[in-house]
Amino acid sequence: MATPVIMPRQGQTVESCIITKWHKKKGDKVKVGDLLFSYETDKAAFDEEAKVEGTLLEIYFDEGDDVPVLATVCVIGQEGEDISEFLPSDASAEEEVVSEGQQSVAESQGGTDIESGAVVPEGDSIKISPRARNLAERVGVDYRQATPTGPHGRIIERDIRQLMDKGQLVTPAAREQYMGTDGMLIGGTGIGGRVTTADLESVKGQAHYEVPQLPVQGVKAGEADYEEVKLSNIRKVIANAMHQSLANTAQLTIHISFDATEILAFRNKVKEYGERLGLANITLNDIILYAVSRTLLKHKALNAHFLGDKMLLFNHVHLGVAVDTERGLMVPTIYNADTKSLDEISREVKELVEACRKGSINPDYLKGGTFTVTNLGSLGVEFFTPILNPPQIGILGVNTIVQRVKEVDGKIITYPSMGLSLTFDHRAVDGAPAARFLQDLKTNLENFSVFLAK
Amino acid sequence: MPKQLFVNPDEVRKSGWIKFQDIPVNQYNKTIEEEKANYTVEDFVRIYRDMVIIREFETLLQLVKTTGEYNGVSYDYPGPAHLSIGQEAAAVGQAFHLDKDDFIFGSHRSHGEIIAKGLSAIEKMSDDELMDIMKKFWDGRILKVVEESKRDYSSVKELAMDFLLYGALAEIFGRETGFNKGLGGSMHAFFTPFGIYPNNAIVGGSAGIAMGAALFKKVNRKKGIVIANIGDGSMGCGPVWEAMNMAAMDQFKYLWEEGYRGGLPIIFNFFNNHYGMGGQTCGETMAYQMLARVGAGINPEQMHAERVDGYNPLAVIDAIKRKKQLLLENKGPVLLDVVTYRFCGHSPSDASTYRTSEEVEIWKRHDSIVTYRKQIIDAGIATQEQLDAILDDVKQRLDRIYRLAIDDEKSPRMNLVANPDAIASVMFSNQRIEKMEDRECEVLIPKEENPRVQQIKKKVRVAIQDGKPVPKSRVYQLRDAIFEAILDKFYVDPTLIAYGEDNRDWGGAFAVYRGLTESLPYHRLFNAPISEAAIVASAVGYAMCGGRVVVELMYADFMGRAGDEIFNQLAKWQAMSAGLLKMPVVLRVSVGSKYGAQHSQDWTSLVAHIPGLKVVFPATPYDAKGLMNSALMGTDPVVFFESQRIYDVGEMFHPGGVPEGYYEVPIGEPDIKKEGKDITILTAGAMLYRALEAAKILETKYGMSAEIIDARSIVPFNYEKVIESVKKTGKIVITGDACERSSYLKEFAQNITELAFDYLDAPPVVVGARNWITPAHELERFFFPQPEWIIDAIHEKIVPLKGHVPSNNFTANEQLRRARLGV
Repeated sequence: MATPVIMPRQGQTVESCIITKWHKKKGDKVKVGDLLFSYETDKAAFDEEAKVEGTLLEIYFDEGDDVPVLATVCVIGQEGEDISEFLPSDASAEEEVVSEGQQSVAESQGGTDIESGAVVPEGDSIKISPRARNLAERVGVDYRQATPTGPHGRIIERDIRQLMDKGQLVTPAAREQYMGTDGMLIGGTGIGGRVTTADLESVKGQAHYEVPQLPVQGVKAGEADYEEVKLSNIRKVIANAMHQSLANTAQLTIHISFDATEILAFRNKVKEYGERLGLANITLNDIILYAVSRTLLKHKALNAHFLGDKMLLFNHVHLGVAVDTERGLMVPTIYNADTKSLDEISREVKELVEACRKGSINPDYLKGGTFTVTNLGSLGVEFFTPILNPPQIGILGVNTIVQRVKEVDGKIITYPSMGLSLTFDHRAVDGAPAARFLQDLKTNLENFSVFLAK
Repeated sequence: MPKQLFVNPDEVRKSGWIKFQDIPVNQYNKTIEEEKANYTVEDFVRIYRDMVIIREFETLLQLVKTTGEYNGVSYDYPGPAHLSIGQEAAAVGQAFHLDKDDFIFGSHRSHGEIIAKGLSAIEKMSDDELMDIMKKFWDGRILKVVEESKRDYSSVKELAMDFLLYGALAEIFGRETGFNKGLGGSMHAFFTPFGIYPNNAIVGGSAGIAMGAALFKKVNRKKGIVIANIGDGSMGCGPVWEAMNMAAMDQFKYLWEEGYRGGLPIIFNFFNNHYGMGGQTCGETMAYQMLARVGAGINPEQMHAERVDGYNPLAVIDAIKRKKQLLLENKGPVLLDVVTYRFCGHSPSDASTYRTSEEVEIWKRHDSIVTYRKQIIDAGIATQEQLDAILDDVKQRLDRIYRLAIDDEKSPRMNLVANPDAIASVMFSNQRIEKMEDRECEVLIPKEENPRVQQIKKKVRVAIQDGKPVPKSRVYQLRDAIFEAILDKFYVDPTLIAYGEDNRDWGGAFAVYRGLTESLPYHRLFNAPISEAAIVASAVGYAMCGGRVVVELMYADFMGRAGDEIFNQLAKWQAMSAGLLKMPVVLRVSVGSKYGAQHSQDWTSLVAHIPGLKVVFPATPYDAKGLMNSALMGTDPVVFFESQRIYDVGEMFHPGGVPEGYYEVPIGEPDIKKEGKDITILTAGAMLYRALEAAKILETKYGMSAEIIDARSIVPFNYEKVIESVKKTGKIVITGDACERSSYLKEFAQNITELAFDYLDAPPVVVGARNWITPAHELERFFFPQPEWIIDAIHEKIVPLKGHVPSNNFTANEQLRRARLGV
């Protein structure tokens, strides 16, 4: 009996994964534990190992294919076995989602809404019916963002009709140039939010659409002095998210600094005695996370989501922590940080960072934050303007420590000063309340040992 | 099974003997002296001249084929040349007493017959008649070429001889100035104004067609007789036996009305050159020893069979004279076994491995040209010098005609660059001719008195009345519609006849013809023997001569029995004649069910594949009557498919039901039977009704509105409506009862893919019958497409239907697996 290998569901919200590499090819013998293929979601990468021994009888998806979760990716069995029952369309039939379009069929059925753009196959591998492609081009929607609901993963007319309601529209004049871009970065300013040629021009500037030709000596005309790097899926997501953030919110950043003497002393004490108490290696960042998680409870407008016509004020603090990884920026969440001890926070952060860097993070941990902390201080940055992660309202940038002077009792003394940069969405919060939060945070950190006792 | 014939047990069980009469073998034994009373000097000399012309004509071809030149002028002729060098006496002897009203049909080896018959006709015709024919033929085009080549013709007959030889040679060389614009060629050349009907490259192919021509002469009281010139090898072909039997059917003697009584006026003339290609008929491949014996197997008159010495022209003339007289006395048919021999091979590539050179040499000593020449010189009829002068004249004549026929300027080929539709335009004649002849129609009673007509009058001409379905007993059915159209035509076109198996008293196996018998005499409606080949071939011959005919094969499955007749004869003669011949034949076949593998096949695809046939498959009474009217108004062969499943349906679609009066449904126009917007379903034949059920399921369960288009015709087919529909819906299923592989359904799918590609939301999907045998009725739902199959195919291949659980496997893997297995 042949065994199908399905695309694992990595988290409840993941609908599909992209196969990044095949380690075996059709016809190869595989043993239990052999690496079959690697795949990634928009946020994390994984490897799939063989769980049975046999011959790789069939591979249904190629590298770069976007595979719905639970679909059969390949089949392992004995040579000559009938594997027709494992054809992916059958395997995923029960998962099939009929999207709502203008077709009477879908209307009468009340199809489920699908987030468009969630599963975008790359370039040529898009399967789309001629009719759907024509319609897309005629009305100017980016069919690459359509969710295929036709047989064998084909985008059909109704998928385009669904996109027409919510997807990105492009003016006819801009179409050709637009299709040369990856499409996802561009906000439309034309009628009905259509992307216009002007939008494309503006993006050109931003994204270095044209490669600058520098008059570098020794480089012959026409010889490329750059390396073209295709964007990874994660990079695209980040790019889109950042741009959307700046385009759609009214963010500004305010800065404050505080005397870090107390937290430095505290940290040294933990270093000294922590091991005996079984404490984690608590960092300055952990301390700040702890302080933020508590301080926010008094400033609920910042521990919130801004949704245009309403705000969600959270009772607990789910703290996003920005992590730098090889693949790019990732932001895992410490759920209910306000209920966790400093030691617990410290341990959890370490685990999450590790998982992010290895790429094994459960995607469910990559969402749900109510406020984010990002730290460039370890890289010597003194002040910066973090970018909001909407619909969150605030993000706190943590800076490096510099020696500053102040007058104490008529004497000029030096002290270690640490900077904090708060970016917030002015649509949700005015300057004074945001400043009060920073002020509270500063007080709490400067008197950390007392604060800890609270 | 007419009631007036009594199958008497006392008679058929009685003991006794079948007695045969002696069959004459080469009984002609007159001398030239004795024949001087019957022939003028000119006659004797002309017989020699005609033989020499044929010999030189074929020697020319032989030289061109084997040496690439004639008289030092080279020419490359890659086509066929089945020569009859050595057989000239038989051809000239046969033609001597024939005139333009006597029709000959030939074989692949008939150049000699064409020339002999043509020369004989020229001899008998007046100058005015000849000029009239030559001026009218292709608007005088051939005449012009011939006249301009040599302006000093001493007589019209001289000119006509060149016209004949040039027209034939240009035809053989594929020139547009040939008799059939080069579309017939060596094996199919003919010239009907001289009574020369098509030669046939299929061995024995002319037997049935010539029999149909004889039927035409009898039914329409035309002058003259018909001769089927076929070879001894063709006696091995079933259709030849079928044709001989049908020509001699008892009903001609016992059932046909006074004035039409007696067998058909036809001679089955076997030019017995002893070889069927290389197979030696006597002693190897046949059992008759002497071919003439076969006549004794056909009827009590033994077909007046005789063996005749084909190496003596006078013996052949004598035989034809006697046999023609018999035929004119309605005592046909006749079988002649004309002994002859060809010196040349079957074709130029023949290495004669099957015979010795001694045999050929000995026959050459009997060469009729040499011996006859000696005889008439010895008898003082002509001198050496006279005959040599004839020989010189013939050589000069053929040299001139050869140069003319290979001259690309004077004898151009059809220009398919300047006129790309030249051949396409003669595939169909596409004419509308209400009656093929203008005279009184022979019928037995006025139409209104026909009992079926009176019965139909009481029927309801719609399927649904006041919202309720009309009961089968009262509804005007599809079979009534076909009957009505055909009956109407019988009262309009006097040449129209109908026949097939059980057509008369039974009323056709499916009661379409019930009531026809009451209106028509035997010679317009009769039961044919169970001889599908002869039925179709005779229809071809009948139509070729100027009549209109409806023949029926009961089941489409039986078309296999008439394969050559449908595919090579019915389909091709209009085009092979470059449009000179018309073929107003309706071939009715029914598609069965319930009766298993050999009685339930939709074979539309087979005929649709063959260029030259129109193919229709109506599914409603309105369409059936309208399409039959169109078929009977036209001049092209129409294979008319009828589904036995729906002979009893009433008219559900046409507002107002089926009109009582005359109307036509144009052949080639599909019809939208139900409008819809989400998916198109193109159906053929009875599948329409299952598609309607599928549409209902789509509508109620999946909220999809299906547009149903009934193809109605398979060939020709106007795609416009279908393409318009697909532009609207983006999706199409093509469905019918034909086995799916290589079917016309696939043809539709292919064309729609190309014509509407940019509008398609999924590939056109074909739902046909499985590539199996048709199983028992109880299992047919696994074989013929069902409504659910359409739903399943849509779900799997076009658009997944929410909540649908398919019961049939339409996956790509299954498709691949079936293709791999060939099932």
